[in-house]
Amino acid sequence: MEIFTNNTIDLNELPRFETVEFQKLQPSYWKVLVLNQAITFVVLAIILCFVTYFVKEIKGEVVFLWITLAALIVISFIFSRIAFIKKGYAFREHDVLFKNGIIATNTIIIPYNRVQHVALHEGWLSRYFGLAKIEIFTAGGSASDIEIPGIEKEKAEKIKQLLMGKIQQQL
Amino acid sequence: MQQEFNTPQRQSPIGILVLFFYTLQKFARAFLPFILIYFFKSDKINLLYVIPSILVALLLLGVYAYFIYLNFTFHIDDENDEFILNEGIFNKTKTTIQLEKIQQVNINQSFIQKIIGVYALEVDTAGSAKKEGSIKAISHHLALALKAKLLDNEKKVVQQDEIKFDAETIINDEPKPFIKISLLTLLKIGITSNYLRSLALLFVFYSYVQENLRNFSETDYLDGSQVEDFFSAQSILRGVLIAGIILITIVLLVNIVRTVVKFFDFTISKQKGSLLLSYGLFNTKGTIIKPEKVQITTITRNFFQRKMDILEIKIQQASSGDSISKKDITEIPGCNELEKNKILKLIFDTIPEKGIMLKPNWRKLGFSIFLGIIIPLSLYFAFGTYLEPLAFDYVLFAVGYTIFVAIILFFSYRNNRLFINDDFIILQSGVWDVDNRIIEISKIQALTTSQLFWHKSPDIGSLIIHTAGGDIHFGLGNFTKVKQYVNLWLYEVETKNMNWM
Repeated sequence: MEIFTNNTIDLNELPRFETVEFQKLQPSYWKVLVLNQAITFVVLAIILCFVTYFVKEIKGEVVFLWITLAALIVISFIFSRIAFIKKGYAFREHDVLFKNGIIATNTIIIPYNRVQHVALHEGWLSRYFGLAKIEIFTAGGSASDIEIPGIEKEKAEKIKQLLMGKIQQQL
Repeated sequence: MQQEFNTPQRQSPIGILVLFFYTLQKFARAFLPFILIYFFKSDKINLLYVIPSILVALLLLGVYAYFIYLNFTFHIDDENDEFILNEGIFNKTKTTIQLEKIQQVNINQSFIQKIIGVYALEVDTAGSAKKEGSIKAISHHLALALKAKLLDNEKKVVQQDEIKFDAETIINDEPKPFIKISLLTLLKIGITSNYLRSLALLFVFYSYVQENLRNFSETDYLDGSQVEDFFSAQSILRGVLIAGIILITIVLLVNIVRTVVKFFDFTISKQKGSLLLSYGLFNTKGTIIKPEKVQITTITRNFFQRKMDILEIKIQQASSGDSISKKDITEIPGCNELEKNKILKLIFDTIPEKGIMLKPNWRKLGFSIFLGIIIPLSLYFAFGTYLEPLAFDYVLFAVGYTIFVAIILFFSYRNNRLFINDDFIILQSGVWDVDNRIIEISKIQALTTSQLFWHKSPDIGSLIIHTAGGDIHFGLGNFTKVKQYVNLWLYEVETKNMNWM
């Protein structure tokens, strides 16, 4: 029983991950997301234009295709906006936290001493806005990896150095 | 000659060819269906268009391959002891791997690489199955030099390990067997396990029989009178019953034979801390279990097995670099409580006790009832009411289904428990075969908590524990408790710096 009570006190005195202040993604990353989707939908719209113009047999139904496309655009923008707002990251002394999700709030935490390797990814659009994505890998398979998009390039470099530094410290 | 890798360098120039063939392969695979359709659909193919377009495509691919080559560089950062790969034309990726983390460096040659005379070099770290870094075209002496350089920093750690391992094998020439699984136990396991597979087989067989019987009755009994129909129905019923009994016997026999052949003479012996398993009737297989590599230990037992005091153990080890298979799962088919404790003691040094228990919230049962019963039933009634009243003739099926699913859901809810100890986490789950999955807290790689927004006020949420041998998921527990334990485990993992493999 004694051990148990010790534990309970410990539990409450431990640093709590749920009270950590999360940092938001760069606002310009939203532009990247919007542009990416815009490109996809423009391509879709062009295809649909061709269909409308050339395929005469479905002339009556083509309206529904356009409505579907419009609905898709609205839904996709709303969801990606929510996802963008809800994403956040935090680097503590001993671990990295990443929060995401649309209807659920998922928080994944990787201790620095479990990081296997780090990759810095720059998409062509992101590069234009000076943004990068950090990928943090553990030995636990893809579900336990973190990808933090929408970080300024220099900051991402610094974070990478920090992570590598932390990793080395542990060894 | 001492090669230096301090500055970013490209692959062998001749490697552009390799990259070209690889991209060609990739594109061919992706577009083959379209090309084939095009060739078969169009009646006359104008070679005047086809040949130039193929040439242009090849040229573009060549340019693409050249740019891949230009943008791919690798080097070793001596200051930070990192191996750095840069790749990508439009989307750039920079991968950084600490030299200490590198477990293995493989030098391979595919068919294309053999023709061109270059080698591939792949860098592997612990855990995940995929290769973390790979160079597609590098000359042999450069590959060897790079490999030496990559493994150089690690040498201190790795070689010690190897020497220790060698010494182990030399000292302990004759491992002492300490558990032998008898034929009787194997028979028991054969009878009591793999019901799911048997059921699936049974179902397949049943539908096959039914199908044939229907064809049969359609041709021969269609013009028969009511009485004949009744008799035939009865004989069909009897036939199916007999067939079922025969099938169950067959499945059990197959199960027994399979278990005996696979696990005959199952011997577990100790060898300086490691477990050596050997088994098999025709060809004897051997496996080594190193306690420090064990990630998840699963103890499975069903109702019959509990009565007979037998259980099955599955051990998942962290996949070391040399095995390409994602997870190393070792099965110990049958042992009793005493033997189980012996094995657990060898792996964990202690017998993991079930500590504080966390139960899933009743909403978990509610939600699965909603998914498994309410939705299908309302679909059924809607179908019967609005579309096809005949559906209500089969109302007995609906009742049977509801009862069956309700029982399964209830037991799966009742068996779903998370036990937390100072050093261990045990997840209990299952309906008939009840699994107890044991994880050492030190083996945690990462933790995920998850909460739906409407679960905020009832304070429930889910937990995923990631290890190098797989994930463990516990749904809809008391979220305050879950978060407390996450904080505790993080504290343990971050302060103690324990070895996870």
